[in-house]
Amino acid sequence: MIDLKSKNIPTWCPGCHDFIIFACLQQAINKKEIDLKKLVIVYDIGCSGNMADFLKVFGVHSLHGRSIPTAVGIKLARPDLTVIAIGGEGGIYGEGMAHLIAAARLNIDLTVLVANNQLYSLTTGQTSPTTPKGAKTKSTPQGAPSVPVEPVSLVKTVNPEASAVHVTCLKPVEVTEAMVTAFGNNGFNLVDIDQLCVTFGKQLNS
Amino acid sequence: MNRITVKITGPAGMGIKSAGLLLAKIVTDAGYYFADYSEYPSLVRGGHNTYQITFSNEEVFMVDKTADILVSLVAGHEEDRNNLWEIPLPKDIYANTFSIGALVFRLGLDKIKAKKIIKERFGDDLKNLAAFDEGYDWAFKNSKKINIDAPEGNDNKTMIVEGNEAMGWGLVKGGCNFFAAYPMTPSTGVLHFLAKNQDELKIKVIHPEDEIAVASMATGASIGGDSAAVATSGGGFALMTETISLNGALGVGVVYILGQRPGPATGMPTWTSQGDLLFAVFAGHGEFPKIVLAPGNIEESFELAQKAMNLANKYNVPVIVLTDKMLCESAANVKELSKEKLIIEKSTKIVPGQGFYLYNSYEHDDEGFSVEDSEPAKLGVEKRLKIVEEIKKDTPKVLLLGSKNAKKLIVSWGSTKGAILEALKGRSDYAYLQVKTVWPIESEVGKIINGFETKILIENNATGQLGQLLKSQMNITFDKKILKYNGRPFFPHELKEALL
Ligand SMILES: Cc1ncc(C[n+]2csc(CCOP(=O)(O)OP(=O)(O)O)c2C)c(N)n1
Ligand code: SF4
Repeated sequence: MIDLKSKNIPTWCPGCHDFIIFACLQQAINKKEIDLKKLVIVYDIGCSGNMADFLKVFGVHSLHGRSIPTAVGIKLARPDLTVIAIGGEGGIYGEGMAHLIAAARLNIDLTVLVANNQLYSLTTGQTSPTTPKGAKTKSTPQGAPSVPVEPVSLVKTVNPEASAVHVTCLKPVEVTEAMVTAFGNNGFNLVDIDQLCVTFGKQLNS
Repeated sequence: MNRITVKITGPAGMGIKSAGLLLAKIVTDAGYYFADYSEYPSLVRGGHNTYQITFSNEEVFMVDKTADILVSLVAGHEEDRNNLWEIPLPKDIYANTFSIGALVFRLGLDKIKAKKIIKERFGDDLKNLAAFDEGYDWAFKNSKKINIDAPEGNDNKTMIVEGNEAMGWGLVKGGCNFFAAYPMTPSTGVLHFLAKNQDELKIKVIHPEDEIAVASMATGASIGGDSAAVATSGGGFALMTETISLNGALGVGVVYILGQRPGPATGMPTWTSQGDLLFAVFAGHGEFPKIVLAPGNIEESFELAQKAMNLANKYNVPVIVLTDKMLCESAANVKELSKEKLIIEKSTKIVPGQGFYLYNSYEHDDEGFSVEDSEPAKLGVEKRLKIVEEIKKDTPKVLLLGSKNAKKLIVSWGSTKGAILEALKGRSDYAYLQVKTVWPIESEVGKIINGFETKILIENNATGQLGQLLKSQMNITFDKKILKYNGRPFFPHELKEALL
């Protein structure tokens, strides 16, 4: 296995499931034997996006919500590359929702990995697009007012030909497998990953 | 007479502008110079649309406001009836070709050559040719030829091009191979032109979900190794400002064409303004280098779009081409742009496949990894800003025109150039300084301006934005400001009066 880790030690909270996604992604790249000269990873802004500093893979740490259109631009310029976008559900289903829908409709060959922890974690635990209705968070102390986004069915609705799957960090083998499959598909792929935020996740049980 | 202005009016959907452009082609073919201007409301059908053209055997920099001949294609569009030429037009789609036939006789233009142009435009639709003949014959019987000084040739400038198309050519001739845009008047024409010719010009053209995606995709494409450009107007540009800041942080060059129209907000979509200069100069949060170029006419729209691509590739910074409705949607006769030389500046950016690099929107070190310690943070800022001095040596220089003895100086930028040059024809008491690079401002500018006794600022906005910039950067103050902010450009007579 090629070591894809950079010189930087991950700064996630001990026990954070982002470590699992980090490990699964490295395994999947190795398993798929992707040529590193032909790989670009685009990161969103959020705890999960901080992975940019921890991997030694040609990358772009873009803006909150803009990892998808940046990745689409790279893929349009360089169709020979494997392009992966990774971000939290705040960036991908909130700030950048229009881009998710547009990329799925375009069915461009891209894999979008979403670390879905039902919260805005880097900003210390506010409600996100997948927070269950009624859950109390720092920005919704009286309960989240909206119903949560259903990402897999959403993508399937806008384009039945696009691929969208849901996996959980509680089953890392499946996470890796979902990534490997996505890298192999031609067309748009969403891998929505349940990711526990050990620091702020407790709020969700309130 | 040595200069004549014809105005054609009617509702939208009548082909006012296409008739006007036919006339432009005919006078250009005859060897005249011309300038044109069109007005229309933000409607698809109806409204009052106008096209006016001034042509002459001398170079024309800007149309005259008042027409010598006004042709109204439909009753109700006669304006103030001043100089109205009443033509018994057919009540069908051929009214515009009929009127062109009549005008060709009245203006003493060559009938056979004109018919050839009509044929090229409409193919063998015999009804168009017949309408042209009928118009010509009617005018022959019912009007007198106007005596206009014979043309003396127009320096082989026989290609008629709108500003938007000229910028499209400029981008391509500067190496652009990726273009994204979300339609917004007045720069939509760039999208239409490049989309239509994408195969021939070997350029990828995409119309994404919004302007944020437009700018983000262009940034991604640039990282991928393409030379990327976008086009928009104020509202769309507002959405792109986060990406402009991103370009600054990443060190990724993208060209932004900003076609101004009056704001704030939706403003007046189909009218002209220079209200976004300071917005463009200061677009994006944080401190980072950026270049803002402002063409003054359609030839410069080509040249500066090309130069913008080169600068973006060379310095890996966002480059804004600041233009406006007046330039985007007016036409001029220029040299054949498809034959212009391709000038490509070799890119210095790192692209995928060239080893590891992280393009990082966080402050970062040489490999791209995030930094927050005080020393590397400071270094990051300094490294980014260092290239500004290099950029200043490479950006288009100011243009100083006029007599050496002049004591009075007019300073302007962008499309006001045309009316200023018209107003100064035959005068030696004024010099004229056109600022082509509005950011970063050359240090020279201050010296030049301060060398004159009287300083006059002319801008198509309400607050004299270049003036504000020159005041803040070089402490320059103006003795007089001539400002216009009603959605219309300056016309020659207005400036002639203001500069008496
Ligand atoms: C335009 C913009 N708005 C807000 C922020 C602040 N911000 C940083 S991360 C974040 C949300 C993170 O949530 P999510 O995307 O779910 O990622 P997580 O941290 O949970 O992994 C926000 C709002 C920003 N960086 N940019
Ligand atoms: S705040 Fe939550 S998501 Fe962020 S690193 Fe800590 S545990 Fe992980």
